[in-house]
Amino acid sequence: MRNGRRAWLLLIAVAFVASLVDAGAGGSGIVNLAGWPQLRAFLRAAAAPVLSADFLRITLDATLTTLSYAVLGTALATAIGVVGGVLTSQTWWATRTRPQGAGPSRAGRGRARRRQVGAVLGWLGARGALGLPRGVHEAVWALVFVNILGLDPLVAVLGIGIPYGAVTAKVYSELLDEAPQEAMGALRGAGVSRLKAMAYTVGPLAFPDMLSYAFYRFECSIRGAAILGTIGAGGLGFQLALSFQSLQYREMWTIIYALVAVCGLADWWSTSLRRRSSLPYTPLTEATGAPHQVPVLRRDRRLLASAAAALVLVTVALVHLRIDLYSLWSDRAQRLAGDLAASSFPPELTGEALARLARVGLETLEMSVVATVVATLGATGAAFVAAATFTGPDQVRPARAAVGQVGRRVLALAARAVLLVCRAIPPPVGALLLVFVLFPGPLPGALALGVYNFGILGRLMAEVVENLDPRPVRALRSQGAGAAQSFAYGALPRTLPRFAAYGLYRWEVTIRETVVVGLVGAGGLGSLLALQLAAFDYQAVTATLVALVTLTFAVDIAGSLLRRTLR
Amino acid sequence: MNATRSLDVLEASIPRQPRPTRARRLLLSLTVALGLLATACGDRDGRTNASAGNGAGGADEVFTIGAIPDQDPEVLQRLYASVADHLSEELGVAVEYVPVTDYAASVSLFRSGDLDMVWFGGLTGVQARLQVDGAQAIVQRDIDENFHSIFIASTASGLSPVDDVAGLSQLAGKRFTFGSESSTSGRLMPQFFLNEAGVSTEDFAGPPGFSGSHDTTIELVEAGTFEAGVLNEQVWKSRTEAGEVDLTKVRAIFRTPAYHDYHWVIRPDVTERYGDDFVRRVQDAFTGLDPADPAEAEILELFGAEEFIPTDNANYDQIEEVARELGLVRG
Repeated sequence: MRNGRRAWLLLIAVAFVASLVDAGAGGSGIVNLAGWPQLRAFLRAAAAPVLSADFLRITLDATLTTLSYAVLGTALATAIGVVGGVLTSQTWWATRTRPQGAGPSRAGRGRARRRQVGAVLGWLGARGALGLPRGVHEAVWALVFVNILGLDPLVAVLGIGIPYGAVTAKVYSELLDEAPQEAMGALRGAGVSRLKAMAYTVGPLAFPDMLSYAFYRFECSIRGAAILGTIGAGGLGFQLALSFQSLQYREMWTIIYALVAVCGLADWWSTSLRRRSSLPYTPLTEATGAPHQVPVLRRDRRLLASAAAALVLVTVALVHLRIDLYSLWSDRAQRLAGDLAASSFPPELTGEALARLARVGLETLEMSVVATVVATLGATGAAFVAAATFTGPDQVRPARAAVGQVGRRVLALAARAVLLVCRAIPPPVGALLLVFVLFPGPLPGALALGVYNFGILGRLMAEVVENLDPRPVRALRSQGAGAAQSFAYGALPRTLPRFAAYGLYRWEVTIRETVVVGLVGAGGLGSLLALQLAAFDYQAVTATLVALVTLTFAVDIAGSLLRRTLR
Repeated sequence: MNATRSLDVLEASIPRQPRPTRARRLLLSLTVALGLLATACGDRDGRTNASAGNGAGGADEVFTIGAIPDQDPEVLQRLYASVADHLSEELGVAVEYVPVTDYAASVSLFRSGDLDMVWFGGLTGVQARLQVDGAQAIVQRDIDENFHSIFIASTASGLSPVDDVAGLSQLAGKRFTFGSESSTSGRLMPQFFLNEAGVSTEDFAGPPGFSGSHDTTIELVEAGTFEAGVLNEQVWKSRTEAGEVDLTKVRAIFRTPAYHDYHWVIRPDVTERYGDDFVRRVQDAFTGLDPADPAEAEILELFGAEEFIPTDNANYDQIEEVARELGLVRG
């Protein structure tokens, strides 16, 4: 086991270095110092955001739009998650347990076997149907829908809702399966229908966690909505891209501050709910595979109040975006969908095209490795700084400890602010900024993704640190161990495997995200996609998407294998 | 993790008072009330929405115009807001400008009918007409029938000005950026002239960049990220004349031969909505722009034109041919 772990570590290190070299580091030089004045001009503008009434109005409206996309996207994702989660749970497909004592006849046994085969096929089919939407980034979904629906806010809502719905379904099915099954079995045995049995047994048990996961998705949706904006879907990301194209750095900061505020609020909301929920790490069970404790059925006022607030937000969003579901069924949508399908098939799979896909696919893989390793390493360090509470007071020298504690708090706040800004700036914008000071190639895009994911991972890891059992560290401290020692022996060993698992989970997300930095020219399959879209060569676009999905699946499998050795 | 779990178990074991259902009912009614309030507020502010042009036909329907996002969006916004006003006045229909951040999206939205008329570049115009049967190129600026691209280089690159297309061969082995993937003056024609000089896109140091817009191309060459780049002559002229380019860091090295570029393309179905003579009336609204009228003079100035002239599809046959050659138009 230990050897396996070391081998993986070595493999990752080699992949990281190889990717870094291939991505441009070590060649003619990485850093372009001549571009520093441009980046400095951008950074300086942070102190002087545009605060004119006109621009604030634009920013406010854009904020509402981004928020609305996120709210409705999450609502759709949750709906898909509930239906898909039920249909992909083993609980749903489990064959009815027979009342005891009723020995099956021979014919009965045959029927039971057929039913079992049907159940397995049904479960596999439902799982497979959810795999595809999960493998494609929300930006790609949005690009598909913009060709069918044109300029319609539903493009962004569907773009977020469909892939997130598939992820949510996966998590919900796990939550349902992990709830105690005895009552369900009893009801089924008594002849109660599947749906009813579920609604009265495992459903209510899993409900609090399902609800708090929906809020975690909301937090992700806001960032997703901002990214969709940068590729033209409106809202804060859109305004940010517009201001960037005209190099209005001061305007950009106004929008960035708005993004930071919205992201910060959503993060706080979701964290506070998860902390209260019985399962603080529910969102990441997919990352850790940690077994759940038995959920406790209880009413949580805050959770219910949040659900009510969410309903209000959904209403506001529907009104603000003027959602008209009719456009989904309109003749125009059907005609355009038909056109798109006709021009997208069959995918272009000539030898030449495949060779290019393999080459560019490797670049995408390299970008994801660089981004993930940078993010994980950075976040590991930042997490301990950002978690103010973990070392506990120095019990040997209390006076010094009091001063130190204040300093640590300040430092922790600063670290949190940095993490928040890092995850609030959409990676395509980050990549374009980095191009000023880095030579072109896949590296700026990879690093932009790295910085973005650093912001996300740093916060999640800080949560882990804060929830760490403080007793071992405290025990070490009280026996006179220094902060560094007690950290190295009391905290680090218990967090690193967990952090690595988070990093791997993020790798699966990052490989999908390479597409959005690619669309702005940062290399990989995303850039190829941009060229093919510019030429309206949809058969080639389909081939590239197939390559992307394949790569995502491969990384998913590699990631789960790696995680297994970590457990 | 175990710690949290044990804490949770502790927390969970504290007996909780069951919530009275009255509180829940209150919450629900509050939700509904707030929702209604939001609806009322939303209706009051009457924000115009970009998706307004979606429904079925009708004379009162908004005529939507768009433009490829080839330069400073702030300028585009100002320019097309005044164009929309002018057209609305001349044509007697509501006109709305819808901003787009992506070249290909402007073509897709033209095809889907979200945009009735678009200011396209040479290439995007051809792509759009190939996707919408009966779409017509109707009017362009005086400068568009004789359009040029400008190759620029950073002074640090050691690249020097050249007199003919063949001189572009010195760009082989350099870091080079185009503008947008779909740009005529920032990609299509430059790539064509580079090919004539024997330089293919694989001959640069690394893959060529696609900066996204003409302004960004200047910025990235000035920053030294790329040693050379290419853009629309008009943008280069206006930026240098405004003193916004540091000419000690970046300079022009070649002006390409002329070709046809920007033009307005209109969908055929506008005649069903606004009458058979609508296309001609739009054409007249542009060709009739009067430099003596201050408002109309401003439009001409923002477009960087002396006047607008009629054009037709045949003027872009060369562009279409080049685009086919480079694989940017198929079928």
